[in-house]
Amino acid sequence: MTEITANTKAANGNRLSQWLFNPFRFVAGFRTLLLGLAIILMSAFVSSLSNTHFDGVLDVHIGFEAPLWIFFAEGLINWICMVIPLFFFGLIVSHSSFRMIDVFGTQALARWPYLITSVVMLPEANQRFGIYLMSRFASTAASGTVDYTDMLIFIFAMVVAVIMAVWMVALMYRAYAVSCNIKGARAVVTFTISLIGAEVLSKFAILSLLS
Amino acid sequence: MKVLPAICPSCNSQLNVKSLVCERCQTEIQGQYELPLLARLSLDDQSFILEFIKASGSLKEMARLLGLSYPTVRNRLDEIIERVKLAENTRENNRKEKL
Repeated sequence: MTEITANTKAANGNRLSQWLFNPFRFVAGFRTLLLGLAIILMSAFVSSLSNTHFDGVLDVHIGFEAPLWIFFAEGLINWICMVIPLFFFGLIVSHSSFRMIDVFGTQALARWPYLITSVVMLPEANQRFGIYLMSRFASTAASGTVDYTDMLIFIFAMVVAVIMAVWMVALMYRAYAVSCNIKGARAVVTFTISLIGAEVLSKFAILSLLS
Repeated sequence: MKVLPAICPSCNSQLNVKSLVCERCQTEIQGQYELPLLARLSLDDQSFILEFIKASGSLKEMARLLGLSYPTVRNRLDEIIERVKLAENTRENNRKEKL
């Protein structure tokens, strides 16, 4: 086989870590977009079973019952709110020509850790403890009873949710850097601005949808 | 096979070719010859360019052959283009300095 393949294989050294933290080295394009959208919709469906709302690009909240389409809309709004500013920053900042489908596809796939979040939020103990905490904060009488198992399950779910959020942000950054070919300070600054803007925009969009 | 050095290990300047020899009759030609632009790139970059030509310049085909995504291959090509431009500029500057 040719040298390039040998060199590339050597560079791929730790392929597993690359798949975990930078899968976009290997996948992009239309099929990635389809896979990413399927994962967003699957996460929305699973989260609807426990009334967990992704009501912001990074937000995870145990909330009220809502029709299934609200959960789907939240997932899609979060994705769109993140991908649009990144795409425009890419057009302004990148010196390369890049494909829109890669930006949209990789950003969709980057949201896959929230599928894990939606799964760990499934146990009813999370809802029970969440309601208990809210009633404590609101200084109202707690509805229902909670035990230590509920608390442990809730703490586990919160820890996993935080880890998944960090992982998702890391994936979104890598997706942006690879699909738009932007590196260094320019990538960090434009990504951070996009993330903050997308968080605000998605909160407003979802609030207006719910109201 | 030995790797053709392009950069001086002592001062990091561009190396030139001083002599060429015929393997058959041992005729030796001495002079000052610049290395071709492509020869100044790393072996990895040269191999990439060769594969790119063999793939008829198709990035999609390159991505398939290397098992990498399209943007990864395109970014690699952009990096090589930058290095070629840099090598061109360095060569031009060296020529101007000599004049």
